[in-house]
Amino acid sequence: MRTLRQYLQALLNAKKLLAYTFLLCFFLWVTTPFLMILLKSFGRNWFGKLWFPPEFTLDWYKWAITVTNVPEVLRNTLVIAGIAVTISTLIAIPTGWALGRRQIPGKEVIMSTILLPRMIPPIAYALGVAQIFYRLHLIDTHIGVAIAHVAICAPYAILVLSSTFEGLDERVLEAASVCGANNLRTFFHVTLPLVMPGILSSIIFTFTTSYNEFTLTLMTYGPKTITLPVRTYLAVGEGYWEVTSALSMILIIPSLFVLFMIQRQVQPEKLVGGFKGV
Amino acid sequence: MSDWMIELVDITKRYGNIVANDHVTLRIRRGELMTLLGPSGCGKTTALRCITGQNIPDEGRVFIDGKDVTDVPTHRRELGMVFQNFALFPHMTVFENVEFPLMIRRMDKSERAKLVRDALKLVRLEGYEKHYPRQLSGGQQQRVGLARALVYRPKVLLLDEPLSNLDAKLREEMRFEIKDLQQRLGITAVYVTHDQEEALALSDRVAVMNKGCVQQVGTPAEIYDHPATKFVADFIGLSDFIPAKVVAVEPERVVLDVQGERIAAPPSESVSPGLDVLLFIRPNDVRLRAAEGDRQPNEIAGVIAKSTYLGDKFDYRVDVHGVEVRVQTHGAERFDNGQAVYVYLPHERCRIILESLVCPVR
Ligand SMILES: Nc1ncnc2c1ncn2[C@@H]1O[C@H](COP(=O)(O)OP(=O)(O)OP(=O)(O)O)[C@@H](O)[C@H]1O
Ligand SMILES: [Mg+2]
Repeated sequence: MRTLRQYLQALLNAKKLLAYTFLLCFFLWVTTPFLMILLKSFGRNWFGKLWFPPEFTLDWYKWAITVTNVPEVLRNTLVIAGIAVTISTLIAIPTGWALGRRQIPGKEVIMSTILLPRMIPPIAYALGVAQIFYRLHLIDTHIGVAIAHVAICAPYAILVLSSTFEGLDERVLEAASVCGANNLRTFFHVTLPLVMPGILSSIIFTFTTSYNEFTLTLMTYGPKTITLPVRTYLAVGEGYWEVTSALSMILIIPSLFVLFMIQRQVQPEKLVGGFKGV
Repeated sequence: MSDWMIELVDITKRYGNIVANDHVTLRIRRGELMTLLGPSGCGKTTALRCITGQNIPDEGRVFIDGKDVTDVPTHRRELGMVFQNFALFPHMTVFENVEFPLMIRRMDKSERAKLVRDALKLVRLEGYEKHYPRQLSGGQQQRVGLARALVYRPKVLLLDEPLSNLDAKLREEMRFEIKDLQQRLGITAVYVTHDQEEALALSDRVAVMNKGCVQQVGTPAEIYDHPATKFVADFIGLSDFIPAKVVAVEPERVVLDVQGERIAAPPSESVSPGLDVLLFIRPNDVRLRAAEGDRQPNEIAGVIAKSTYLGDKFDYRVDVHGVEVRVQTHGAERFDNGQAVYVYLPHERCRIILESLVCPVR
């Protein structure tokens, strides 16, 4: 009996070890390229097959900021992301509500139509968008690039929000009204706090999608609407790998910041409520 | 002031082709606990939702405290309700959950805190103020639900199967706790359940429902001893139904023909000679003795078809001229399979039920 238990325990430990090993591999696989870029952006005189730079410098960041005009590029990126997030969220809230909470005929068809821009190759889709925008004079405008981004941001938002709204327990809302709350107060005190985490994660998704979007921007941008990913790509062409690395780092920082901020806002233990059993 | 706290008058509610409530009329007294009892899908929740205002009846009126509230929205009906799935606000602490009805009523902060403390004390949950619902056990969550329903002293407490998500032991414990609270506060309560034991233990009066109709309204004893329909008899406790024909209607008894034998039953409404009826009796009211000597009045001859030992009693199936009669005895005397017996149906325990009667309370 005892040996059996020890055996099981050992197996469990082995399983744990395996899980940790996998996790570590995954972590390394994700972080190593990132580390390379980080080192590249600070390293000087780092050539050949050395694994570590011999000297460190901040020059590449100075170059990146002055030569590639990072402040304006960053502003473009944020403005475009901001517009894309706003439009996507405004579209996704009613659509997600309808898809998540109402019986709609042909729900699956609507869902796959919404996801269509994500299914076809981005470059093909972007080409089509560019042709239309050219005719509408939307090329090289913030709103134009943002609208192009909405095509891929909104599906995410709708997907996330429809499942958020679907998970909203009707009976909890009814409980609020029996407690004396009218529709407006039920909305502000119960519905909104319960769907807020879903809305926030939809915002994270759409923001990072737009912020990092390359293909669609490439086909719709112009001198006035260069975004960070496009600028980074152009820098690769210009041949300065160190500057490109510094740009990449700048590109990453706001993403990490947003993720961190919102992670703190969302407290998972408040979300799963209700009862055990059934 | 009207005697009735809640009145459902001739309520009909349809969902498409389904008639969920079919001319339901229910009147609930002040301070009374009434249960709506019936099998799944019989329309209990539908009736309750007509009281809360979540359902607008297709026909009929709803009165609370003498006022016609049929067109008053839920949030202005001043109700307290406990839900089967607890329906607590998952993003609020226990304190905030219980405070919610007071906050909605824009009550003063310190007044609120006092009332919440009182309510939590009432349900024995002091010290859990800062917990979130998911950190509590099912029984504790339902206590929070109860405190939230009672905190602003509503006129009416509604409970829709509040205990069916709890395990059997806790269920029994909470059952008495709810009854005790209801009596101490003197609040009018409507309790929905499909558990007949729960209904009998808790209620001042029970309304038995089936297929959208109210079958009978009465005290637990009335329902058990004088079921109005076959359904009520069958739904509550064990029953024997023996086909019979009315032979004679006399002032203090009705004589029945059961498989050619004469059985006397107490007088019953709306029976006339020649009518086919059911003779209803509880298996533990029937008595057996070995078939010796002369038969007494209300005794019929039978043969033991099957016997089962149940620990504290014996359960027999007796073949009486082809009709199976179930008998439960506590006596020491045992009967064997195939043994000839006399089955005694005590006159005062016999009831006459019309099988055709389906929706008696209109
Ligand atoms: N919103 C609805 N839409 C359509 N049909 C409904 C709806 N609500 C209830 N019904 C139907 O009305 C009938 C009565 O339902 P109700 O919920 O009142 O039963 P119940 O007695 O509460 O049953 P249970 O014990 O299972 O809760 C059922 O046949 C049910 O299918
Ligand atoms: Mg129900």
